[in-house]
Amino acid sequence: MIEILNFLLAYFVFPGLLFASVFGLLFMGIDRKVTAHMQHRIGPPVWQEFLDFGKLLGKEDITPAAAQGVVFTLMPLLALGAAIAIMLLLPINSAQPALTAVADLIVIIYLLNIPAICIMLGGYSSACPFGAVGASRYVVQLFSYELIFIVAALTAAFKVGSLSLGDIVVYQAQNGWLAFKAPLAAAAMLVAAQGKLLRVPFDIPEAESEIVHGPLTEYSGPKLGLMRLAYGIELFAVAGLVTVLFFGGPVAHTIAGVQIPGVVSFLIKTFAIVLLTTNIRNIAARLRIDQAMKFFWTIIALLAIVNLIIVVL
Amino acid sequence: MSFVVPIGPQHPALEEPEHFRIEVKGEEIVDVDIRLGYVHRGIEEALSKRTYMHGLFLAQRVCGICPVSHSLSFLRAVEEVAGIECPDRARYIRTIGAELERIHSHLLFAGIAAHEIGFTTLFMLFWRDRELVLDLREMLWGNRVHSSETTIGGVRWDIRPNQVPKVLRNLAVLEKEVKHYIDVVASDRTILARCANVGVLTKQMARELCAVGPTARASGVDWDLRRDDPYAAYGEVPFKVITERDGDVLAKILVRLREVLESIRIIRRALDAMPSGPLRAEFKGRVQEGEATGRVEANRGELLYYIFSKGGEKPERVRIRTPTYANIPTVKPMLVGGTIAEVPIVLASIDPCFSCTDRITVVDRSTGKTQAMTKAELRGLHR
Repeated sequence: MIEILNFLLAYFVFPGLLFASVFGLLFMGIDRKVTAHMQHRIGPPVWQEFLDFGKLLGKEDITPAAAQGVVFTLMPLLALGAAIAIMLLLPINSAQPALTAVADLIVIIYLLNIPAICIMLGGYSSACPFGAVGASRYVVQLFSYELIFIVAALTAAFKVGSLSLGDIVVYQAQNGWLAFKAPLAAAAMLVAAQGKLLRVPFDIPEAESEIVHGPLTEYSGPKLGLMRLAYGIELFAVAGLVTVLFFGGPVAHTIAGVQIPGVVSFLIKTFAIVLLTTNIRNIAARLRIDQAMKFFWTIIALLAIVNLIIVVL
Repeated sequence: MSFVVPIGPQHPALEEPEHFRIEVKGEEIVDVDIRLGYVHRGIEEALSKRTYMHGLFLAQRVCGICPVSHSLSFLRAVEEVAGIECPDRARYIRTIGAELERIHSHLLFAGIAAHEIGFTTLFMLFWRDRELVLDLREMLWGNRVHSSETTIGGVRWDIRPNQVPKVLRNLAVLEKEVKHYIDVVASDRTILARCANVGVLTKQMARELCAVGPTARASGVDWDLRRDDPYAAYGEVPFKVITERDGDVLAKILVRLREVLESIRIIRRALDAMPSGPLRAEFKGRVQEGEATGRVEANRGELLYYIFSKGGEKPERVRIRTPTYANIPTVKPMLVGGTIAEVPIVLASIDPCFSCTDRITVVDRSTGKTQAMTKAELRGLHR
C-alpha cells in the first residue's frame, strides 16, 4: 500500500507531473525572456508559458475531419506520459532516482525518443502536407542526432563501468565531473541535445517560415497545450540527463551549517544547460535538413566516436 | 511520385496573399506554378476617376513600403504631361525622401530574409536599426512611412537647418551598424550555408527574363535608373551603382545592404549641395492633352507609370508596372531544382510586394466565382 502511495506521489508530485511541469514551463518562460533580451525586445513575463497552457486547456478541442482521430488524440497524452516517466528515472535529489532498481540508461534513451515519435505520428496522422513534410524531416533529424546521443551517453557509462545513473552520479562525486574526463563526448552530447530539443540551428522539423509548425500544424487547444507541456518536461529531462551524465548530477552541499539538498544543485546545473541552448539558438540561422544531417554525421559523430574509443582503450 | 505543397495564399512565409503551387519529389522541387491576383484592388481604374491631386495620394497607397517611389513615378509622368518644372530645392528634398525610403525598405527586406532562414535575432536587430530611419522620416515629414511629402510641382515641407544634425547623427549610427551587418552576413557559417549558391539567377537569365532592380544587380546586370535615366536630383549627386556577381540569395542580400551604405552617402551629399529657393511650382489642376511615361528606380527595381490625358482634371488612363511584377518570372528558375527549405528565402530574395503586383482578376457575375485567367484564355479573349 505504502509502495503504491509512494509511486503515485512520485508520479504526480515530486519529481513527476507537478515538479516537472512547473520547472519545465518556467525554463521555457525564462528561455523566451532571455531570447527577447538578446533580440532587444522586452518579451513576455517568465510565467507566460503557464498562462498559455491554461488558456490552451480552456479552448475548444478540435480534431480535423481528415485526420486519424485516435492516433491524433492519443499522441499528446503518450508524449506527456513518457516525458514524466523519464523524470522518475533521473536522479534528481540524490544519487537514487524516484524509481530505484527498475531501469537504467538504456530505458531512459528509449523513453526520450517517445515524445519525438509521438510528434512524428501526430504529424503523419493529421492529414496535412505541412505535418507530413515536418514529420518526415523529423525522422531524418532523429537518425542524425540519435546515434551521437547514444554514443556520448555510452562513453559516460563505459568510463564509470555501469549503466546505472546512480552509479554515474556516485562516481562523479568521488572523481570529479565526467565533462572534464570526456570533454569531446560532453560537447557532442550538448550539440545532439540541441537537435533533440528542435532548437535553432536544428529546428528544421517545425521551421515556421517553411512548413508552418511542422507536425504540430493541425494541433490546437488542449492537445497543443499537452504537446507544449510535454516539450517543456522533455527540455527539463534532456538538460537533466546531460547534467547527470557529465556535470555531476545532484550534489548536496552544506554551506554555513545549512544543509542544501541535492535538487538545488541539480536545478542550477540544468538551468545553465538550458541557457546554453538558448544562447546557441539565438546566434545561428536554421540549417537545411541535409546540411544538419551532414553536420551530425561528420564532425559531431567524429567527436563522439573518438572519445568513446579513447575511453574504451 | 511527386506531390504538391501549396505555399499561400495564406502562409507564414508570405507577408501578403499569393499562391505558389510547389510540386515536389521528396524535398526536391520539380515544378512551380505561380498564381497572382489575391490582392487586386482596382487602383488603376480608381486613378482614372480622380483628379491628379487626389490621384497622387492614391498612387502612394499602392504600396505600404515604397510610397515615395510611387509618388515620384506618378509625378514624373504628370509633370511631363502638365509641363511643370520642379524647383531645384524640391528636387533635392525628393531625392532625400526617396533614399530614406530605400534604406528602410532594404533593411526591412534584410530582416525578412533573416527571419526566413530562422535567424530571428538578426531579424530583430535589422528592424531595430530601421527605426532610426523611420524616426527621421517622422521628424521631417510627420509620418513614418506614408509621409506624403511630395506634391505636384514640388514638395510640401522644407528640411529646416536645425533638423540636419539629427539626420546626420542617425545616419552615422546606421552606417556603423550596417557595415557590421555586412561583415556578419558575409562570414556567419549558418547564413552562408543557407544563402550561398541558393536560388541562383545567372546574368544571362536575369537579362532574358527582364529582371529589374537589386534582383538584376545581384546577378551582375549594371542597370540603375537613378544613373541611366536620372530624375529628381540624381543627375547632380555622384554615387556608385552597386552590383554583385553571383546572383544567389547571399548576393541579393549583400547588394541591398551595400546600397544602404550608398544611400547614406547620397543623403549626405544632397544635404550638402541643397540649393535654397522655392519649394513648389504652381499647378492649376488642369492638364492639357497628351501622354507620358514616368519611371523611377524604386526600392525593388524599375517602377513605371503611364498616364494618358485627354485634357482636364482627370487622367483618361493610368497604367502601373511595378518591379515585383517584372521580377516574378525569375522566381521559377531560381526555385526549380532546389528544396522546399529554400522556398521562403528564395521567394523573399526578390523582395516581393504583391499588393503592387496584382492586376487582373476575372469575376464571373452569374456565379460570383473569381478566377485567374491562363495565357491561352487571355489569347482567346483577344481574338
